[in-house]
Amino acid sequence: MKRIVLFVMLVVAFVLAACGPAAATAPEVCNTELGCAVINKDQTVKIGFAGPMTGDYSQFGVDMSNAMKLAVADLGDVQGWKVEMAIEDDGGGAEGGAAVANKLVSDPTFVAMAGHAFSGATAAAMPIYEKAGIPMMSPSATNPDLTAQGSAVFNRNAFTDAEQGKGAATYLYETLGIKKLAFIHDGTDYGQGLAKVVEETFVSLGGESVAFEAITPGESDYSAPLAAVAAAEPEAIYFGGYNAEASVLVNQMEQAGLSGVIFFGGDGIYGKDFLAKVGDKGEGVYAATLVPPGTDAILAFNEAYLAAYGTEAGVLSAYTWNSYDAVGALIQAINSVAIVEGDTLYIPRAALVEAVRSMNGYQGIAGVISCQENGECNASGPVFYIVEGGEWIPAE
Amino acid sequence: MRSSALDKGLRTGVIFGIVIAIMFLIGFTVTGAGLVGKLFGVSSSYNTPPLTFFVIFMVLMGAWAGITAAARSLTEPDTLKRALTAGASAGAVSGLISAVVGFIFGTLNANAIDPRTYLPMVSPESTKLFLMNQSPLTGSLMLLGVLTVSGAAAAGLSFYLRTHDGVKSGARNITESVRKTIRSEGVARVTNSPYARYGFWLLVAALLIILPRTWGGYWNYVFGTVGIYIILGLGLNIITGWAGQLVIGYVAFFAVGAYTFALLTAPEPHNLTMNFWLALGLGVLAAGISGLLIGLPILNLRGDYLAIVTLGFAEIVRILLKSDLMTEYTAGPRGVRDIAGPTLFGRSFVSDVDFMYLIIIAVLVVTFIAYRLQNSRTGKAWYAINLDETVARATGINAFASKLLALSLSAAMAGLAGVLFASRNQFTGPDDHALMVSINVICLVIVGGIGNIPGVFLGAFALKGLPEILRETENYRLLIFGVLLIVMMRLRPEGFLPAKRPVLEKSAQTSSKEAQP
Amino acid sequence: MDKPISTSTHNKLRLERYIRTAIGIVISAFLFWRIYNVVVLQQHFGADTWVRFGLSGLILGGMYALIAIGYTLVYGIMFMINFAHGEVMMLGAFGGYFTFEILRFIPAPTTASPDLNFLNANPFLSVLLAFVVGITISATAGFYLEKIAYRPLRNAPRLILLITAIGASTILQNLAMLLFGPQRKNVVNPDVLDRAAGWVINVGGNDVLISYTGVFSLVLSTLLMIGLFILVQRTKLGRAMRAVAQDKNTAFLMGVDVNDVVSKTFIISGALAGAAGVMWSIHMGLVNHFTGFLPGIKAFTAAVMGGIGNIPGAMLGGILLGVIEAIGPAGMGIDFQLKDVIAFSILVLVLIVRPSGILGEKLSEEKL
Repeated sequence: MKRIVLFVMLVVAFVLAACGPAAATAPEVCNTELGCAVINKDQTVKIGFAGPMTGDYSQFGVDMSNAMKLAVADLGDVQGWKVEMAIEDDGGGAEGGAAVANKLVSDPTFVAMAGHAFSGATAAAMPIYEKAGIPMMSPSATNPDLTAQGSAVFNRNAFTDAEQGKGAATYLYETLGIKKLAFIHDGTDYGQGLAKVVEETFVSLGGESVAFEAITPGESDYSAPLAAVAAAEPEAIYFGGYNAEASVLVNQMEQAGLSGVIFFGGDGIYGKDFLAKVGDKGEGVYAATLVPPGTDAILAFNEAYLAAYGTEAGVLSAYTWNSYDAVGALIQAINSVAIVEGDTLYIPRAALVEAVRSMNGYQGIAGVISCQENGECNASGPVFYIVEGGEWIPAE
Repeated sequence: MRSSALDKGLRTGVIFGIVIAIMFLIGFTVTGAGLVGKLFGVSSSYNTPPLTFFVIFMVLMGAWAGITAAARSLTEPDTLKRALTAGASAGAVSGLISAVVGFIFGTLNANAIDPRTYLPMVSPESTKLFLMNQSPLTGSLMLLGVLTVSGAAAAGLSFYLRTHDGVKSGARNITESVRKTIRSEGVARVTNSPYARYGFWLLVAALLIILPRTWGGYWNYVFGTVGIYIILGLGLNIITGWAGQLVIGYVAFFAVGAYTFALLTAPEPHNLTMNFWLALGLGVLAAGISGLLIGLPILNLRGDYLAIVTLGFAEIVRILLKSDLMTEYTAGPRGVRDIAGPTLFGRSFVSDVDFMYLIIIAVLVVTFIAYRLQNSRTGKAWYAINLDETVARATGINAFASKLLALSLSAAMAGLAGVLFASRNQFTGPDDHALMVSINVICLVIVGGIGNIPGVFLGAFALKGLPEILRETENYRLLIFGVLLIVMMRLRPEGFLPAKRPVLEKSAQTSSKEAQP
Repeated sequence: MDKPISTSTHNKLRLERYIRTAIGIVISAFLFWRIYNVVVLQQHFGADTWVRFGLSGLILGGMYALIAIGYTLVYGIMFMINFAHGEVMMLGAFGGYFTFEILRFIPAPTTASPDLNFLNANPFLSVLLAFVVGITISATAGFYLEKIAYRPLRNAPRLILLITAIGASTILQNLAMLLFGPQRKNVVNPDVLDRAAGWVINVGGNDVLISYTGVFSLVLSTLLMIGLFILVQRTKLGRAMRAVAQDKNTAFLMGVDVNDVVSKTFIISGALAGAAGVMWSIHMGLVNHFTGFLPGIKAFTAAVMGGIGNIPGAMLGGILLGVIEAIGPAGMGIDFQLKDVIAFSILVLVLIVRPSGILGEKLSEEKL
């Protein structure tokens, strides 16, 4: 009998321990539902990033986190407190996205999220940040749906695939005068979405879609699907996907009987890595991107990146500069709402979410960040680049 | 004559030297030093850790090499001289290899050649730390010294500890007394009394009720995933553990369950928004039926033929889900969003705590079913087929029907796990159903102890819980996971908790072991 | 199949056989209808396109076949799926890549062209060196893989071996990623082996390019396969291997050093995978840590399709799988995205009709 009494007492103790009140004295702005992030003297303010750090697409996560580490080194100061990147591997997919989000929000000093990198992980993670009051600024999640759901926390300084696709289709039809266009995509969310938007717009403009082919990502031989596309005799090929597959396609186009056909890609193929892989065969390839031509700020950043990581900026992915800006913008927003009281820094979460959404005219290295009501923060449309003489140069 | 102690030391040294060199090349020396720093309570995971921690890390590696080399040998007398020789030579050789590697990269750095074009993890900071902030020559000599001294010292210390009577008998006394207390009558009376058993289960129940409320969203997420994998493991255990049929493409049924549920409840692409419980039932049913349909043509394939066909089936399901052909019906690569959470009496339960409870209940139900099956007639038929299918047939067991039943039940459980997974994430996409899920489930069943229900629990905690906890080591997680798999299988090939067969079958079990090729 | 014991089992078995046959007939009929429709009625593709498909399939199939032989050899002797075999091939591909990179930096100036490098000055020696390095690395990897991960578990159940194989595969893949970085590396061939260069033939009025690298890969894989066949059928080691495959214990009693034979088998299978890896880097031109995984799975499928444990079966399966992947989607008029669906469906079909693969013998009970 004694044991049971003992046991019941133990259970009661558990319950009491669980329900014990948490003592806190905080400024008045913190008396909201979401409260404040409380940063003690020896702690740092944490901005999160998550992307694929392992696996087939790890170069995106590695590159973006590299740029972000530079951003906190340059700009990471909130009224005397240091900012630190909390970098997590979400594998790009939904399972990892939700797991990482749950882990990050359990850290009380985590205030904002510069991610996620991929749209799939972002979609799964959004509700979790919404609940915790963490504002997001993704440099690369371009799926149009993400801002269509009315999320209060999700923002991005990447342009949407819809905007990019429409621009590309118009450019192909009107500027380049293409009438017969073939489509290839890599079967990912990003690639399929982009190819569909371009096809729709292109057909509505009066062009003809002669082939629509999907390939398996991650392979090194696409000569068979290219041969099938060649049989449709297109004037140009639009490719929705990333540079790894694009470089294989471009390299094999000639063999497949597609010499003289224009290859046109999205922002996923822009970057120096692509140039290194295609060499001479890349001449005349088009890509859309939002990176403006080399300003002083960009050149300075490129130099710092090379010194720190031994690879040139933009080799691993096209989102390097955007990543730097996303973190910079978040730090500015945090600075605008943070309050110091004694030895403690208070960051009101609800106010921070609002501050990021109402951001206006933040001057980053890759452009200006001004957020609209729905969380689209990139005002500038896509710019088209062409490979000439082994370099990406702005196309006419 | 060549001293075998020296020989052993050299061999161990080469292995450890290569390991340290690889650690340096993949940047793990920095992370390892950071981990040591964490042990001492200095959290600096995003900067280069201080030199002290790196030295401690190297001393630990050297000590490990020394102890391994100086382990007692069967052929030689255990003397201090032998231990020291072996330890020092192991430390020196590993130090030499590390020093050479360090010297090469230090010299490259000094001449402003960046090796990161080919070896991206060898940053100048990492090289500098590896050479203890010294010039290449001094640094590599110091590295050699540290490893040699720590190897010899650790070897000597371990020799002292295992031979010195005081230490030895002290340790033995403690273990003896602990064992005695455990076996003593008083303790036995307590553990055997019904009250204690009730108490134990009450405690477990109380923990299961209280913990999800207290430990926060992240742990609910981690242990929710563990729970889902327990269900998957219990399911696979039926067909692979009991009936002995290797099914690699188990994730296919997981996908069928998740997608059936998702498409029935999500507003897009079909806008059916069916009731949670009805959709749950249909999801499980659909997975079960898919198991039946797949099993019909292929279940009398044997061994690896069955394995590869199920693998193919899983790939077919995944590719079809994301293909352009099916995008209209399955939402394609985008995946299905806004999947419903559970509702009961008009109230919806979608918080992480509610979900944890739902998963706990589901795990309990599946475990109960598994236990009932294990001791049933069908369960014994599965054992029989596993041991020897021909003999099982001869005793009148309908092997094909039994296997079909096992596969359907397995599939239904995977379907349940899929439903819970999709509903909890409110999202499911084709990438959630990659081959890696199957491989994880097979690993957890085998690591836990194949055919054993508690083993599945342990395996799920070890394989899905630990990697989450190990997230600190980011990039090295999967590498460590692989090393653990091999080490684990070499130390305990039967799994953590080997399955116990009923006593009557003991003779059958031994004979089956002999028949193994 | 064993003699049925009771009539009820007998009926069940017959029913099951009918179901299988029926499914097989339905699927084959559908396939034929579809192919007839696309190829004959619609004539979507010209003859030149079909030749292109066929070529690309043959080249890929040759590499699959080489890797598949590695699976089959190991399976024949150990009855285990060497899951890490694809990763062994990846190491070989890296060997080829690094050899070319190093040779590219060695200057070999002549008076005619002062900035010539070793790679272009001695292209044939370079390629030979690449193969030597790649094969050595892969063979060594195969040897140590067996020694560290498999030999201590020789008598454990086969599932355990599968787990250590998965562990080894994870280790090799992640180690390569951490060492060399995640992005795909561009393999720079000697100029004479430019991937876009080749013979041009005329098919139906259109030019079709047959690349040198493709022909080179196909010829080399054929030669290697013939060499291996001779090794297994004619040499003493081959006889020992066959003996161990048939019955380990008896072979041991007959004086065969089983450990040695198993080791050598792993070395041979590793060497073949290494050769396939170097070919992969020369023909495909891209190498990273993930290079071996997909071809590994495909090759295993090919080995099973041909009848696992059977060497000519692995060759046939590999070539067949490559060709199906290239021609199948076009022949059936569907997306290339679905090529794996077709490949795996055909595998299922083959196994339904012939449960132990195309050339597989009926396996005895002990082997299962």
